[in-house]
Amino acid sequence: MSESGPSSSSTLPPQSSLPTGPNVDQKPSVLVLGMAGSGKTTFVQRLTAFLHARKTPPYVINLDPAVTKVPYPVNVDIRDTVKYKEVMKEFGMGPNGAIMTCLNLMCTRFDKVIELINKRSDDFSVCLLDTPGQIEAFTWSASGSIITDSLASSHPTVVMYIVDSARATNPTTFMSNMLYACSILYRTKLPFIVVFNKSDIVKPTFALKWMQDFERFDEALEDTRSSYMNDLSRSLSLVLDEFYCGLKTVCVSSVTGEGFDDVMTAIAESVEAYKKEYVPMYEKVLADKRQMDEVEKKKREEEDLKGKPVHDLKKPTGDEDDDLDLNTKVDRIHLGGVDEENDEDAELERH
Amino acid sequence: MKYAQLVMGPAGSGKSTYCSVMHNHCLSAGRTLRMVNLDPACEVFNYPAVVDVRDLISVNDVQEDEELILGPNGALVFCMEYLVQNLEWLHDELDEGEDDYFVIDCPGQIELYSHLPVMRQIVDALKSWDFNVCSVFLIDTNFVLEAEKFISGALTALSAMVAIETPAINVLTKMDLLSERNKQLVDEFLETDTRSIVDQDETAWNEKHRKLTRAIAQVLEDYSIVKFVPLNCEDEESIDQLLLTIDTTIQYGEDLEVKDHYPEEVDPEE
Repeated sequence: MSESGPSSSSTLPPQSSLPTGPNVDQKPSVLVLGMAGSGKTTFVQRLTAFLHARKTPPYVINLDPAVTKVPYPVNVDIRDTVKYKEVMKEFGMGPNGAIMTCLNLMCTRFDKVIELINKRSDDFSVCLLDTPGQIEAFTWSASGSIITDSLASSHPTVVMYIVDSARATNPTTFMSNMLYACSILYRTKLPFIVVFNKSDIVKPTFALKWMQDFERFDEALEDTRSSYMNDLSRSLSLVLDEFYCGLKTVCVSSVTGEGFDDVMTAIAESVEAYKKEYVPMYEKVLADKRQMDEVEKKKREEEDLKGKPVHDLKKPTGDEDDDLDLNTKVDRIHLGGVDEENDEDAELERH
Repeated sequence: MKYAQLVMGPAGSGKSTYCSVMHNHCLSAGRTLRMVNLDPACEVFNYPAVVDVRDLISVNDVQEDEELILGPNGALVFCMEYLVQNLEWLHDELDEGEDDYFVIDCPGQIELYSHLPVMRQIVDALKSWDFNVCSVFLIDTNFVLEAEKFISGALTALSAMVAIETPAINVLTKMDLLSERNKQLVDEFLETDTRSIVDQDETAWNEKHRKLTRAIAQVLEDYSIVKFVPLNCEDEESIDQLLLTIDTTIQYGEDLEVKDHYPEEVDPEE
């Protein structure tokens, strides 16, 4: 029996375009970020080996189009999809632009990657994503945030920030590294682990001490810099002190393999944090979006029934409340292109 | 005293566009800016550069070299280190006179500032050549359209600032590409104090990081050096405003002498 009567409000099939929220029980994904030369690839290599030895193999995805050699078995490789050199030639781009373009191209197919991850999730313990060397190609690009967000909206996702311990011995470098880490934390809002790599070269205990004791870091800072920025640096180190409080840190050496047990513990803890913090936030956004769609749908339906054009705004009474509601939601959700948004605003104002 | 703006920012934030806009703007205002390209990986730019680092070394040269097997990143670092070893070349090329004003287009990689000492060395060299240097850090406005992302942007700018220790102006570029609604949002961010922006949402994440956010907001407020200036490339007024801010920061024009212009004498023999 068909429910096509005009009085029924359930004539339209339920919209399935919206995801139903992340699957929190799935195996986590780990995004490995870090400055160029901090040892991201080596870290991933070592972690892969470590997990294989434990008989809990990971699922590895390489997102660096410019890397010449990947020293670990990789499951999905961006280089299979886009050829970095070809992009450079075809679009006449510099190295930086080409990396961005490769990521953008990859991004258009990323839903397939996520599908793959979800399908294989029974066979691996953790999914590792190695990112391009240029950190801002990932953190300051549209594709980077799309990849991060779509991962996080599908299953638990953790960000790992790799720091080169040897370079971080310089307090200024250490500070700007930590500020950058902090900025990534604010961008992604995902659970965050700082990994001090290369502990075989320099024991990162100095860093841990700096992080625990603000005075000590201050002293180190005082020794190296001019008075000009001292004041600011001191305030900043106070800020960072706050940052360290809730921060998970791990010291590893990708050469000797020390500290990788801690990495796994940290990941497990972060997944819990993801469930507690990220999921409610995501669900709120989702609920908002659903409500908006609902309002929109109702509007359309009513207009359809009246045989009026969809964007005609003269509607029967009783709709005002919904629109007010929509109005408040609108400034929080970024929907699409500039033109769409301007149109939308114009419509709301006219009302 | 000479003056220099160091134009920095992540890839795609609009550095080269900024440079060409500045150049054209000053040209029409009768001011001469001397443009410098310090990005060895850059392909094209549409401003006339008096100095181009690619004359010394370019990433392509390095990557084509068969003995050095370097990826794009390693090649860039190699180029910059080579430049630092040849600072005299830069000095000769700049060939600066009194009161000259340079705009220097720098490479975007944050590693060059925070990890490696190269940019710091270049800045120090400029300072030793009697330059007043100011860094202009560009951020694409499209990436800061949320309170948390706004803070993230401020922190990124800060991490570069701390590393090179120059006065800094942070610029929000691509304002012309925003919808009206987002323009209002950015205005709101710029006008209200940072603390009230971040106290709005009550989510678990915010709850956990409240103290940290407050601490960051405190610093951003106390040290007004981390202020953002919006730039709309299509609006002359906005460019003027920004230029004024930068000029004030590097004290350009404070002891400028009045110049009188005579028509150039024409050599009768020519």
